[in-house]
Amino acid sequence: MSLPELDQRDDDELIGTILAAAGRQDREAMAAAAAEVSEMTRNWATHIPWDEFDSLDETALNEVVADLTQMWEPVDLQVDADEEYALDKNAYDFYRPAGRNLMTRTEEFHGWVEARRRTETWQYSRTLEAAPNSIAQITNDIGRRTRGINFNSQDYLSFNTHPAIREAATKAMRDYGPHSAGSPMVLGNTRISDELEASLGELVRAEQVTLFPTGWAAGFGAMAGLVRQEDHVLIDRLAHSCLQQGARATTRNVVRYEHLNVEAVRRHLVDIRRRDSRNGILVVTDGLFSVDADWPDLVTLQRVCREHDATLLVDVAHDLGSMGPGGTGVLGLQEVLGDIDIVMGAFSKTFCSNGGFVASASPALKQYLKMFGGSHFFSNALSPVQTAVVLEASKIIRSAEGDLLRSRLRTAVTALRDELTGHGLTCMGEPSPIVPLLIGNEKLARIANRLLFDRGVLAFMVEFPVTPTGSSRFRLQVQANHEPEEARAAARIIADAITDARTYLSSAFGSTER
Amino acid sequence: MSRYDAIVIGARCAGASTGMLLARQGHRVLVLDRSSFPSDVISTHFLWPHGTSYLNRWGLLDQVLAVTPSHTEVTFVNDGIPLTGSVPDELLRAYFRDWHGDDSGVVRTYASVRRHVLDQMLVEAASKAGAEVRTNFTVRELITEGDQVVGVRGRDSDGQLVEERARIVIGADGRNSFVARTLGLPKFDERPRCTFAYWSYYSGFDLGPAQLHRRGRLACAVAPTNHDQNMVLVWGPSEWSREFRRDVSGNFQRALDFVSPELGEVVRTQGVRAERVYGTLDQSAFLRPLAGPGWVLVGDAESAKDQCTAIGMTHAFRGAELVADALGRWFSGDVSLEAAMASYEGRRRSQNAAAYYDYVCTLAEMRPYRHDELQLFVALRGNQQEIDRFVATHADVAPVSEFFQASNLLLLNDAAKETSAGYPVFEDYPATARMYQQNLFA
Repeated sequence: MSLPELDQRDDDELIGTILAAAGRQDREAMAAAAAEVSEMTRNWATHIPWDEFDSLDETALNEVVADLTQMWEPVDLQVDADEEYALDKNAYDFYRPAGRNLMTRTEEFHGWVEARRRTETWQYSRTLEAAPNSIAQITNDIGRRTRGINFNSQDYLSFNTHPAIREAATKAMRDYGPHSAGSPMVLGNTRISDELEASLGELVRAEQVTLFPTGWAAGFGAMAGLVRQEDHVLIDRLAHSCLQQGARATTRNVVRYEHLNVEAVRRHLVDIRRRDSRNGILVVTDGLFSVDADWPDLVTLQRVCREHDATLLVDVAHDLGSMGPGGTGVLGLQEVLGDIDIVMGAFSKTFCSNGGFVASASPALKQYLKMFGGSHFFSNALSPVQTAVVLEASKIIRSAEGDLLRSRLRTAVTALRDELTGHGLTCMGEPSPIVPLLIGNEKLARIANRLLFDRGVLAFMVEFPVTPTGSSRFRLQVQANHEPEEARAAARIIADAITDARTYLSSAFGSTER
Repeated sequence: MSRYDAIVIGARCAGASTGMLLARQGHRVLVLDRSSFPSDVISTHFLWPHGTSYLNRWGLLDQVLAVTPSHTEVTFVNDGIPLTGSVPDELLRAYFRDWHGDDSGVVRTYASVRRHVLDQMLVEAASKAGAEVRTNFTVRELITEGDQVVGVRGRDSDGQLVEERARIVIGADGRNSFVARTLGLPKFDERPRCTFAYWSYYSGFDLGPAQLHRRGRLACAVAPTNHDQNMVLVWGPSEWSREFRRDVSGNFQRALDFVSPELGEVVRTQGVRAERVYGTLDQSAFLRPLAGPGWVLVGDAESAKDQCTAIGMTHAFRGAELVADALGRWFSGDVSLEAAMASYEGRRRSQNAAAYYDYVCTLAEMRPYRHDELQLFVALRGNQQEIDRFVATHADVAPVSEFFQASNLLLLNDAAKETSAGYPVFEDYPATARMYQQNLFA
C-alpha cells in the first residue's frame, strides 16, 4: 500500500465536498473528492460505493447522501432526557457528593430520585393500605394505588394474619402496655423476654441468647461487641448489610471472600495465621442468602474456622423458622444445630415482628455482648407486644402447625419456580421462601418493574447496591398463604412484563450470567 | 454438496481469524474481502492483553511483536489524578478459562498495531492454515433458497461474476456489514450518543507505555505503534463534533492542550506528524441478531461499540474463537446448528456482556467525571491490586459487576491512602463542573 501522504486533505473536508457536490447533482466532483478519501475511511464505510459516484442513479445518490450524512453529522438525539437520566445512573453514583455543606450537597441525589419517581421507575418506599397477605393493596411513592398478588412482604409463614399471633399481641398490650420504657440492661425487659430467650435458645440449640431491638442491630452489635481494630474479619461478599457495615466499623482488616467459597476462606485463614498469631478472626456468613437464595457448606466452614482459631458467625435471618426440620433453618438442614460458634437472626421475616438475637453456648460471650454490643445496651428494649408476638411465633414454628405451614410454603415456592422456569426465566439458588428471578440489566428490570405495578403483581426489584451492577433481579418472597395457582398466575404476569419491557427497550441481551 | 463448509465475508480481525481457526480444524473455508492487503481501516488498533493473548494462542504474536512495540503498564490520568496499572495474570487466566475453557498462551502485554500491518498477517495466517482467501473480491449478493442463505455472488479481482456456496455464510464485515444490510437485520439496544474521535501519527518523541488522559468532556491518548510512531488520539462528545470539525488540526491541538498540557506541549514542540488527521463519528453502539438460517455474524457486524475503551479488535478475536468453536461442533456433527448458535448467543448476550456494553456506552457519552467518581480514583491511589482490577474491568477482562459492587467500593473507600487534598480539581468542584459543560470549540 502507499502510506497516505501528510498533505492530503482530511476526510472531513472531503466528505463535506462530496455532500455539497451531491446537492448540486455534480457527480464528477463527488467522484473526484471520493478518490482522495483515505483508505481507512473507505474500508470502514464499505457500504458507500466510493468508486461509483460518477454513475449513480437518482435513488443511489440519495442513498449515498443519507448514509454519509448519518455517518458525518451529529446524530439526532431523540431521547427522553428524564427517562435516560433515571435509567442510566445508579445509587452509588451519588455516594461521594461534592462540597462542604453536608445539607446542600444531597440535592443532586434528590434530583435523580425525582427523575426516577417522575418516570415511575423508583421501586422504593411503597406503602401498604391494609395488612399484607398473599394479596396486598399498596400505594407507590407518587400516590398511585394498586392491588396485587404480593411477593413483597417477608412474612413467610403468613403469621401477620394468624389469630394466635394477634391474640398474643393483644394480651401483651393488656398486660404490659405498648412501651418497654428502658434499655434491657436497665428495666426494659419483662418476664416474657426471658421466656423468649429460652425458646429461641431451644430452637437453635444455643441457649445463651441476647435480644436486640432490630435484626440490623443484632448483626452490627455482635461485630461491634466482639471485633477490635487489630482483629480480622473474613466476610462473604454477599453477607447482609448490617454485617458488612459492622466489619467496616470495627477493623480495617477485612477480607471479602468469594460468595460461598469455603476453600477461599481456608486460604485466607492460613494466610492471616501465618502473619498474625495474636489476634482474633471472625468469619461471617449468612445462612440463606437473601438475594441469591443459596447457602454455604456450614459443616466444612465451621471445621475450617476451628482449625485456624477463627470464630464463625452465621446470620439465619431468612431461613430460621421458614425452612428446615422443625423450622431450624439451614442449620437444621445441615445438621449443625448446637455446633455453630455464633448464631445471629432477625425476627423481621418469619417471626412477624421487629427485633433480632445473637445466640451461642457461652454465658461469657452473652454478658460481653450485652455490655459492649452498643445496640443492645443503648437501645430501648423490644416492646412487650413485639416480644409476645415473637414468642408465640417461635412456639408455632416448633409445633405440628409449623410443619404444615412450611409444607404449604414449599408447595407455593415450587409452583412459582416451575412456572417461571417454564417461561424460560432463571430462578436463582435453591428452593426457599426467597425466589430470586434473575433479570440482569438494570434498565430492563426498572421498566419491567414499572409494568408489573399495574398488572396485579407486587414484587420487589433489587439492584445495585443490593446486587452487583448488571445483575438486578426480582426478589419474590413467598408466603404459606399463597395458593399454588396464585403463584402460577403471578409467574405468567411477570414473564409477560419482562417480555414487554425487553420490547420497549428493544434489547437483545438475555439473562444468562456470562 | 457445497464446495465449502463456510464462506467468511471480511478478512480482517473477525473474519481472517474465524477463517483461520475453522481451516485449522480441517474445514473447507473461503474468505473474501473487497480490499487487497496490506490495507488500512479506521481503528484504534489497540490490543489489550487478552487481545495479544489470542494472537499468542494462535501462534501469531511473535510475528506481530517483531515490528510492534508492546508494554504491560498503562497510565490513566483523570482530571489530574494518575493511576498506573496492568491487567493481572490471574484475571487473564480466569478470563480464558471462563470464555474458552483453557488458559493457554496468556501474555500480559498490550500492543498498538497498525491495521495495514496486522490485517495482512491475519490474512496470511488464514491462507497458511488452508483457508482459500480471495482479496479484491466484492460481494454483491447473498444467494438464498427460501429464507436460507446458501452462498454469495460477487465480482472477483478480474471483474468476473462468481458464485460460491457453503453450508454457512459468516458476516465478518464490520459495523456497516453488507450481510446485515442485505438481510435487513434490525438493530437492538441502540445508544446514539458516542464520541467523535480524531487521530494521527507522530514521530519525534517516545513517552514509553500508553497514556490515557481525561478532563471534563474531552480525552486524549498516546500509544507507541509501528514505524517508530505514536498514535495520538483525541475524543469528545458527539454533540461537540460539529464545532470541532470547523478547524480539525487547530482543535486537535487545542483539545490536547486542554486535557493534558504536558502531552500537548510534547506533540507541539517535538511531534512530527506523518499522516493526515483522521476522524470518525460513526460509532454509536448497537447489537444485531447473531445468527439465522444459513448465516452468522461475528465482530463489529454483530455488536459495535464506541472506541473509548479500544476493545473492538480484542472482542473480534474473542468472537472468532467462540464462533469457530461453535461452528466446529456443528460441522463435526456433535450438535445441531441451532444448539451451536444458542451457545454462541448465550455467551455474547449475557448479563456480563450487557453490563460491559452499558459501561462503554455510558463512558462514551463523555459526561464530566462526577465528584464521587473522581474521589474513587483518589481512593484507588496506592492500592495497586485494585488499580489493576480497575484496569482489567475497563478492558473487559474482569466482569464489571466484580469491581462495581457496593461492598467492594466501600472497602476501597476505607482503604484509601490519599485524600482529595492534593488535587486541584476538588478546589471548587461546582465551578469546574460548570466550566466543563462549555463546548471548548464553540
